[in-house]
Amino acid sequence: MFSAEFKQELDKITNKYEQKRAALLPLLHCVQEKEGLISPETEKNLAEYLGIPVVQVHEVVSFYHLFHQQKLGKCHFSICQTTACALRGAEGIIDYIQQKLNIKPGETTPDGKFSLSVVECLGACEIAPMMQCNKDYIGPLTKQKVDELMGKNK
Amino acid sequence: MEKIASRRFGQDNSHLLASYLKDNGYAAARKALTGMTPAQIIDEVKKSNLRGLGGAGFPTGMKWSFIPAANPKPKYLVINADEGEPGTFKDKYILEQDPHALLEGIIITCYAIGSHKAYIYIRGEYIKSLQRMQAAIDEAYKEKYLGKGVMGSGFDIDVVVHPGGGAYICGEETALLESLEGKKGFPRLKPPFPAIVGLFNCPTVINNVETIACVGPIINKGAEWYAKLGSEKNGGNRLFCISGHVNKPGVYELPNGTTLRELIYTHAGGIPNGRQLKAVIPGGISAPLLTPDQIDVKMDFDSLKAIGSMAGSGGIIVMDDTTDMVWAAMVAARFFAHESCGQCSPCREGSGWVYRNVKKIYHGHGKPHDLNNLPGIVNNIGGNTICAFGDAVTMSVGSYVSKFRHEFEAKITKEPAHA
Amino acid sequence: MPNLTIDGKQIEVPAGTTIIQAADKLGINIPRYCYHPALPVSGNCRICMVEVEKMPKMQIACYTPVTDGMVVHTQSPKVLEVRKTVLEFLLVNHPVDCPVCDQAGECKLQDYYMEHGQYDSRLADVKVKKEKKAFSIGPTVMLDQERCILCTRCVRFADTITKTSEFGVFSRGDHSQLDVYPGKKLDNNYSGNVVDICPVGALTDSDFRFKCRVWYLSATKSVCPGCSQGCNITVEWDKSRPHQHKKARVMRLKPRLNPDVNDYWMCDKGRYDYHFIDENRILHPQLNDDLINWEAAANTVAQSIKSLKDAGQSSRIAVLASAQLTNEDLFMVRKLFKETLSGAHVALAPSVPGKGDDFLLKSDWNPNTAGVVNILQPQTDAAQIVQKAKQGEIDVLYVLGADLVKVLGKDAVRQMAGKVKLFVYQGSNINETCSYAHLNLPASVYAEKEGTFTNMHKRVQKINAAFMPVVEAKPDWEIIGLISAKLGAALPYTQAQQIFKDIAAAVPAFSEMTYEKIGDQGMVLKS
Repeated sequence: MFSAEFKQELDKITNKYEQKRAALLPLLHCVQEKEGLISPETEKNLAEYLGIPVVQVHEVVSFYHLFHQQKLGKCHFSICQTTACALRGAEGIIDYIQQKLNIKPGETTPDGKFSLSVVECLGACEIAPMMQCNKDYIGPLTKQKVDELMGKNK
Repeated sequence: MEKIASRRFGQDNSHLLASYLKDNGYAAARKALTGMTPAQIIDEVKKSNLRGLGGAGFPTGMKWSFIPAANPKPKYLVINADEGEPGTFKDKYILEQDPHALLEGIIITCYAIGSHKAYIYIRGEYIKSLQRMQAAIDEAYKEKYLGKGVMGSGFDIDVVVHPGGGAYICGEETALLESLEGKKGFPRLKPPFPAIVGLFNCPTVINNVETIACVGPIINKGAEWYAKLGSEKNGGNRLFCISGHVNKPGVYELPNGTTLRELIYTHAGGIPNGRQLKAVIPGGISAPLLTPDQIDVKMDFDSLKAIGSMAGSGGIIVMDDTTDMVWAAMVAARFFAHESCGQCSPCREGSGWVYRNVKKIYHGHGKPHDLNNLPGIVNNIGGNTICAFGDAVTMSVGSYVSKFRHEFEAKITKEPAHA
Repeated sequence: MPNLTIDGKQIEVPAGTTIIQAADKLGINIPRYCYHPALPVSGNCRICMVEVEKMPKMQIACYTPVTDGMVVHTQSPKVLEVRKTVLEFLLVNHPVDCPVCDQAGECKLQDYYMEHGQYDSRLADVKVKKEKKAFSIGPTVMLDQERCILCTRCVRFADTITKTSEFGVFSRGDHSQLDVYPGKKLDNNYSGNVVDICPVGALTDSDFRFKCRVWYLSATKSVCPGCSQGCNITVEWDKSRPHQHKKARVMRLKPRLNPDVNDYWMCDKGRYDYHFIDENRILHPQLNDDLINWEAAANTVAQSIKSLKDAGQSSRIAVLASAQLTNEDLFMVRKLFKETLSGAHVALAPSVPGKGDDFLLKSDWNPNTAGVVNILQPQTDAAQIVQKAKQGEIDVLYVLGADLVKVLGKDAVRQMAGKVKLFVYQGSNINETCSYAHLNLPASVYAEKEGTFTNMHKRVQKINAAFMPVVEAKPDWEIIGLISAKLGAALPYTQAQQIFKDIAAAVPAFSEMTYEKIGDQGMVLKS
């Protein structure tokens, strides 16, 4: 069960929608912002709060790639690999980051500082090759720029 | 050339209400709410030849007229800001730099279709857009441009920003509705269409950000003005996005009749490093490739359709002659395989199969039958699916194979000669 | 009402009917995976696409409503081609498990493949691996995610029929996986139905796992004896290879469609309770410790009864007849014990009340309570008979098909057995009451006899004999007939149907009923 005060916070979001269930995605973002992940506990609580079967909450969490069931590193690199970025060297950047951090896409460094994901088009082809680093869009990327980013976030 | 959607880009604090008001902001909304009827507005938009700028190019005024006025259910306006089509990034600029222009368009559109509630579905990765849009909405509520009886007109309107979860398929309008309702982005079976059964089972209009951002100017300056700017059945300008192997990637607002050649060489500065053009995607990744002999085409919906491609989302990606087209096909096929929602069998199994097949060929493991089978497999997806995603896989990946077959053939392992 | 033509055949159907429903009415079988008549339409498998004249694209038959004058083609070259296409896509990642998959022989992938298949496979690819294979998702069902074609029938069943929502499809694209919510089990009372509706071997029955290839199975239409709902079932059995099944004959039960009773479904309690048909049976008549033959058994009973009748002491005879008996059995009991031996006490045998639910299962765990009421018309109740027996007022206690120890406890039964001169137990399975009875008579189970049950809604439904009774067992009505003959009151029935004819003549509620009229779906009693 969510605490009463947390429910109030969620109510503020839910009240904007004509059907309670429609608030699921913004609520998931809200909880993930706070806790860093979507836990089975959260799924159950959200299901209860919205009055929907918990399996349908889990379906949503597993369908959308922005929701994760495990905590990510402090700095999460999402590198775009779609056509415009690919044409401007995304593969090289991805390889470089893999080498430097010694992790594969989908993994987090053992010290919990960096996570690496490879994603599809982020809607920033004009600064290709680019990535989303936590909340920020960063590009065009070069090996130098990557080194800078890593240095800043160590 | 007169700029419409991008006229305020690059100005300091263009996203703030104070800046918007200085620029004649909300005058069109006031004019519409206090001096026009909904029918007049729809008529004006029809006459302007404004067409959907998200990708389908459907005449906007006609779409609005499908809303059954007599239906007692509440009506909804949903703004599609999912902007997931690779090569496309224009809506991001409107959301970040001119959110009030979108809000003004929303107010007028809602009034025209009898809706009092609009949702702006913004893709979850667009953090800045989400923040800027919410801030603009907060300003608008404060100054009574949104809320109850806005601008002294007696018209109530609420607007809610809704974040997506990271799925390209949610750009498909019925998948977007499913996502907005708190479910997976599974496109719906059609009919019924959203104008009759849309959000929460109510009549709904779904329009792209740029489309609605043009509504204010149309009301201010009139349909004739807007129509004249464009080509015969395609009014106004368009925010073209150009990226890939060009010197000046970015957003360019230009008339619909601009040619692809002009876009690439005149506006985007041509191809860097002295390289030659090899292929170009004219309208987002779903659009069939064009080859250098085809770039004199005008970039409006009808002209591009006529040469076997599409204007789509206006996302142009340029490929120079260093590009391995089999590799490019693999990148496209991989995109579709990752973004297939998985609901229907041809797309779910086919998109993955096509990707694995092209990947195999690219890495030199392909046999002659792999290439011979590929066009057939690709063609079997489109036309058999619940939504146009399947058609996009067929058209897009199919165009690499048909236009650059020789490159695929070059990668095929010949069968070893028998002793 | 719209009038349309499918493959040249015309039909008129109510507005709102879809093409596939109209085709089914015409007996034209359009292939389907995701479509199921009892579930909401999903339209995701795409195999039911058909050509509709004047429509440029092919349409899915499961979702497209018919219009007046519509002309549909289900066998045109285009349609046959698209079926091959869809099959090919479904087989891309489908494991070739046929040799080890229980679904083989009743698998819709196999069936449609054989009908339409692309025999020259061009699938030379690595298949997508899924997480769970041969994974138990509950006490009754096994899941194989790789075999799953994601038709979502099970998801829709759990959402709309049982409303328990155990299933979901997680992730997306060709990595989509069907599963139950992590940590949750599929353990509601209707779990077995998802195996019925799964068109492939993704959801299989644990009870039936590796038991018997389905092409060895014969099917007999019957009615579940588990409760008073009377769900229509099929008893599926194999007698050809007793060495494979430790002599068991029945391999499984399946629900049979009856829109007026159970629709397409049956509960797990009924579905999995068939082992008693082949296990723990009473095989021979037995008097105390001695196995005797039927002649001797019938004589034993007849002699005890005759001496009481001749002495005008029929009131020292008591019968407890269970609601497990068929209408025909009950009629024979009535003829012998109420008519021939008028004065004998006849009552409904007590049974332990069961649990019911808000769907099919009823708390009366007997199939023919209504038969007892309408045909046997008992004048007294079991409590009175037990009382009399304990007080030594009963000499012959005849119990048919009821385990008294379960309801009354050992002491009560022991007491009665001590006081009565002849305690007869006539039943199919060995139970604790048998050890107290003096004479045990082997009776058929429902699957071994023809007859009818009357369900709680007064629907008379037919059961059929799948095979002969074990060893020396006989239908209850036949045993009564043997005894009656020894008393000189012959009831010369050789077939259950003959008995039913007389029921129709003697019992007003059954008047004018015949087996023919009852058919496969039953018939309601006259009020």
